[in-house]
Amino acid sequence: MSNKKTAKGASMFRDARVLLMIVIVLMVIVVSCINPKFIRLTNIVTILQQISVLGILTMAMSMLMISGGIDLSIGNMMALSAVVLATALKGGMGLGLAVLLAILTAMLCGLLNGFIIAKSKCVPLIITLGTSQIFYGAALLITGGSFMSFGGKLDFMRKISLFNTIPLMVLLMVAAVLVMSYLINRTKFGRRIVAMGGNEKNAYLSGIKVVRYKIITYVISGFLVAVAGIVFAARMNSIAPAAGSGYELNALVAAVIGGITFEGGRGTVSGAILGCLLTGVISSALDILGVDAYLKIAITGIIIVLAVVLSNIDNIRKKV
Amino acid sequence: MVKVDFMAFDYTNKEPVIKMDGIIKEFSGVRALNGITFDVYKGETHCLVGENGAGKSTLMKILSGAYVPTEGTITIDGKTYTSLTPRLSKELGVDIVYQENDLVPTMNAVENIFVGNEISRGGLIRFDEQLKKVRELMGRYHVEIDPMQTIEHMSVSDQQFVKILKSLSGKPKIIIMDEPTSMFNVEDAGKVLDLVRNINQDGISIIYISHFLEEVRKIADRITVIRDGMVINTYFNAERNIPFDTITRDMVGRPVDIFYTKEHNPIGDVMFEVKNLRLTHDSPEINFSVRQGEILGLSGMVGSGRTEIVRAVTGADPRFSGDIYINGKKKKINSPSDSIEAGMAHITEDRQLQGLTLNASVLENMLLVGLRNIKAPFHYNCKKFTPKISPIIDELRIKMPGIDSEVMYLSGGNQQKVVLGKWLFAKENIYIFDEPTRGIDVNSKADFYKAMTNLAKAGNCIVMVSSDLPELISMSDRVLVIRDGAVKSELSGADINEHKIIKEALGVEKK
Repeated sequence: MSNKKTAKGASMFRDARVLLMIVIVLMVIVVSCINPKFIRLTNIVTILQQISVLGILTMAMSMLMISGGIDLSIGNMMALSAVVLATALKGGMGLGLAVLLAILTAMLCGLLNGFIIAKSKCVPLIITLGTSQIFYGAALLITGGSFMSFGGKLDFMRKISLFNTIPLMVLLMVAAVLVMSYLINRTKFGRRIVAMGGNEKNAYLSGIKVVRYKIITYVISGFLVAVAGIVFAARMNSIAPAAGSGYELNALVAAVIGGITFEGGRGTVSGAILGCLLTGVISSALDILGVDAYLKIAITGIIIVLAVVLSNIDNIRKKV
Repeated sequence: MVKVDFMAFDYTNKEPVIKMDGIIKEFSGVRALNGITFDVYKGETHCLVGENGAGKSTLMKILSGAYVPTEGTITIDGKTYTSLTPRLSKELGVDIVYQENDLVPTMNAVENIFVGNEISRGGLIRFDEQLKKVRELMGRYHVEIDPMQTIEHMSVSDQQFVKILKSLSGKPKIIIMDEPTSMFNVEDAGKVLDLVRNINQDGISIIYISHFLEEVRKIADRITVIRDGMVINTYFNAERNIPFDTITRDMVGRPVDIFYTKEHNPIGDVMFEVKNLRLTHDSPEINFSVRQGEILGLSGMVGSGRTEIVRAVTGADPRFSGDIYINGKKKKINSPSDSIEAGMAHITEDRQLQGLTLNASVLENMLLVGLRNIKAPFHYNCKKFTPKISPIIDELRIKMPGIDSEVMYLSGGNQQKVVLGKWLFAKENIYIFDEPTRGIDVNSKADFYKAMTNLAKAGNCIVMVSSDLPELISMSDRVLVIRDGAVKSELSGADINEHKIIKEALGVEKK
């Protein structure tokens, strides 16, 4: 790959990713000076482990946003798929089959979203707000409103690790990032959904079957959501119907910090995962510095707002 | 045809109301304007012509205060300034009507005319008062629009009238009109010309920027040609008869024919046929066919249904009925995807909205359609196709910073060439062009005509919708005139001339 940049990207600092990396590195250096524990390998692994669920969800959200869509139901969809997993395991189903069932559930949810959005041409934001309620309601119905335990059946996921240091769930996140990056940048499907996000009319008139492509993106998103759900279940060893809510907005924020726009057609998955990493680093730094838990939430909010403003620095100078 | 009455403008014993003197404008060392002197008299229409990039817009931006000139002075009403601000310029009575749509689509004409300048009492808008004012303006300048209609439901030309009314409501001394008729059909363009005349008679001067030499000749008291940031010539046009050659020669620095001389290719068998096409259940039935090597022109007024017909043919829009035959075989075409599969290319009328992904690179835009022929079940790296795209870029002479540049940074002409390049790469054999050269400069047009001629010569066939009559006349082997959604007549050979086409398009003989 050449490093030649386009006319606009003449300055590398305009790339959200470069900015994010600088911010993350600076933050790591400063916090490590105050408390050297921060830079320890175990803490770094913990941070990665903490963002693994969000990271996988962010990949789903990034793909959808780049292709011109959005999905606000992924939080509740994730909880629903984990609830299905828990119920299947509790009912005595084998692990492999139960996992398959959980994945199918989320992919069906994605199919539902994609089908309605592509066929009705309604705004995906509102449609998925609605389906989000459907998924939440379904999870409540299945569980009767209470949380479900996995009884240690997923503990193996925390135990498997590469070189005895990098846990499986982190590897799954890394895999999701690599696969998504490849899918978007190096496949016909990927380039076509980017074109669709950039200008849907042009894509349609250029012979791209936009209805089909939209549905497929939501189904792929569903698959990733299920993987996130399994990781989530393994980390918590239990699942509550409301456990996933809020994740969709965090994924959206991470994607936007990383340079993905609501208009679509722009942004990179590598930027999005950096956005994710930033939120993880902030959270861990505040913990290690012993910041009050309530204050931590407010500070996180402030840093997110700053990051979004900073990543939008190019547009600030425009008058309209 | 619309007749424009005029009186030769009397320049004796008059002083210009605005005089720009020795204007130089540099952008980081590059001279965009190189010592321009330009003036306008009270009640005069002074036309400014020149190729895209000649410096017309830069000069007007200096007059409207958007740019500060590097050197030179601007004298308005006897007072001399070295630069203006947008506010000062407006206070001095200079107003611009932009080509782009700067109206609020969901508000009606009256509201738009008073946006930012509402007539109100105690913070409440006095709508009746505003409406009265608008009606006064309409009466005074003989403009007929529905002032209560929302902009999005108005025709493009009525929107243009709203913009001009908005400008007039501010009682300017001078109005700059930037390509006011480029979106008009012939009949409405005539109305604009009448309006210009009425505005002049009210003592308001007009600087009129246009690519349409025909209308420039009809309305200009004087014509100034700008090339490479310099004034080449200023002509008096008292008799409304300045030869086009004179102006075009000045514009491009060499004599050009506004009628492109097309090579005539041998025409083969019928390649493409549209049979029994109906857009809706009660619309007229349309039939036409195109032969190999032939260019079929579709003419007609804006809104006559030309675009709708070609969009229905390519499956971009649904149709009620109709069959499409390619080389005698019936093809099932219900979507652009089907039509591309069948070998049809559709160069749509609005490149920015429909033809390009503006934030994608030249390379990716040009690969978008041809991608379907690339056998890459999974791995696909667009960079690898640079050697295949480069010859097309060279052939069309696309000027760009690099193949990786986003197309939004290219000029209109080059953007349009990228659209064509996309279809050339896909190697289709039936090319449907919808207003292929709208709003692009003379040299890009010539490149486009050459590419079209080459396509025809190579045994493809072409359907071309165009409002540019010289273009349509010089490129077409045959012309269908569309009116009210139906094919009203078919012209060929010597019958393809402006007079015949306009008469058929307007349907004047029936009356």
